[in-house]
Amino acid sequence: MIPLVTASGLTKNYGDLVAVAGIDFEIQEGECFGFLGPNGAGKTTTVRMIHCVSPVTSGTLTVGGLPASIDNRAVKMMTGVIPQEINLDNDLTVQENLVIFARFFDIGRREARARIAELLRFVELEAKAGSKISELSTGMKRRLLIARALINRPRLIVADEPTTGLDPQARHLIWQRLRQLKSQGTTLVLTTQYMEEAQQLCDRIVVMYQGKILKEGIPAKLVEEEIGREVVEIRIPPEEDGKVLAELSAFPCVHERVGDTLYFYCRDGHALMRKLIELDLPNTLNRPATLEDVFLKLTGRSLHE
Amino acid sequence: MSLSYRIAYVFLRNLYSYKRFIVPTFLVSLVEPLFYLITFGVGMGAYMGAFGGKPYLHFLVPGVLVSAVMMSSSFECLYGTFIKIVHEKVYDSLIATPVSADEAVAGDIVWGSFRGLVSGTLMMAVALAMGVAPASPFRFLLLLVFMVFIGILFGSLAMIVTSVAPSFDFFSYYTELVVTPMLFFSGVFFPLERFPGWMKTLAEFLPLTHAVRISRAVFTGEPAAGLGWSFAGLLVLAAVVFTISIRMMRKRLIK
Repeated sequence: MIPLVTASGLTKNYGDLVAVAGIDFEIQEGECFGFLGPNGAGKTTTVRMIHCVSPVTSGTLTVGGLPASIDNRAVKMMTGVIPQEINLDNDLTVQENLVIFARFFDIGRREARARIAELLRFVELEAKAGSKISELSTGMKRRLLIARALINRPRLIVADEPTTGLDPQARHLIWQRLRQLKSQGTTLVLTTQYMEEAQQLCDRIVVMYQGKILKEGIPAKLVEEEIGREVVEIRIPPEEDGKVLAELSAFPCVHERVGDTLYFYCRDGHALMRKLIELDLPNTLNRPATLEDVFLKLTGRSLHE
Repeated sequence: MSLSYRIAYVFLRNLYSYKRFIVPTFLVSLVEPLFYLITFGVGMGAYMGAFGGKPYLHFLVPGVLVSAVMMSSSFECLYGTFIKIVHEKVYDSLIATPVSADEAVAGDIVWGSFRGLVSGTLMMAVALAMGVAPASPFRFLLLLVFMVFIGILFGSLAMIVTSVAPSFDFFSYYTELVVTPMLFFSGVFFPLERFPGWMKTLAEFLPLTHAVRISRAVFTGEPAAGLGWSFAGLLVLAAVVFTISIRMMRKRLIK
């Protein structure tokens, strides 16, 4: 299969700052590909290069076989962008926002009218067609951004943190819609900081940190390989570490202390847990390993500012 | 430069947005000329006797006409565009579509010129109501075309300022130190002949001086010396500032 997006040695510098430091990846047609990483990791910069609004400093990047250079209209024609920031046109109504976007994509009036009706149904905003943008909730605005991104029936959708600032209902509705699009064969490129979002939507992810790709893989497999199946958290003062670790030395678990918590990454957390109950430690938790553990392990637990 | 018919889409977007502000902007565009024409034209004109055999108002109108175009197109490309870039993020969403950054900027310059044309036309309507009319209907049409051109020139100049503006306050430098002085040194309100030599020379470097000269000649039908040079100079200047404004805005928009 020919990949829809190919990057090799992709680099982006802003002056002296290296935002993306020579990364390679391939995105297959029809998959959902996620960029994960803390703030400033280079996710947004990477997707902005994919949809041709930010010039590539060096390396190659192609979309649908075409070079993703600035103002490559052919790439923009087949791409839909759901931006991180809500940049709807506040001077225009919901309907007008879509009408004017249809014009930008050379879509004729009649065709635009049909698509807009269909898209407003798709994102459940039919009743809001005549509303001003200021009258919409954040969730509605995000849904309208999705409708707007679909106006040109894109082959590729670039969604940059599409559910930031949403309540769970709104978030799940957006996930459903994105999955629906994927099932129709649309390729999805997603950036997110929500691990649950990546697990819900992505077939493959890369974890980015300081402009580089640290890991690439299928979410469930990455968790299995990097962490194991289960995590046990024990909240005890650091002075007691020695004592507890001595008791638990028989278990094949990797451990790590972060702040007030001792983490154990295990294949079999149950046996460890039974031992902990025996030790009668008050503050313990046994849970399945998640992508969040992978993320924190790879990018470190300290704050990224 | 990457310019195409898509400039019209940007213009259309602005027209959609304008619908909501059309009444207040019309009112402002009407009050401003009334203010100029009544205070200067009627009030001051009463003390000034005849200018070349006609009342002062006839001298004033052609100059105020192009000044109004300059003001409207400048303000639209300063404040209007800045809001669209920084506050409303309209440009961000625009350049993610097949519309290029160059087209977005050119579309806004054309839009600024349109706003100038609206102001100029309203001003003309007020002047007509006061009995001051261009020498012929053909000259009236010619003036409309000239106003569009002047709007593009001053819109582009303002766009250069916008391309480097960190905030709204920055615009005061341009409006207070360039635009407003130009209004008084370009022969809008009185002829330049009585200025000392160096001031006359300075005035020749102001684009508005040439715009006023052409406007007055077209309006009255009385030929003036050096009109061809004035027009050629403005044409070259417009081409240069238009190109520079798009280059500089591209630098601001594409990172």
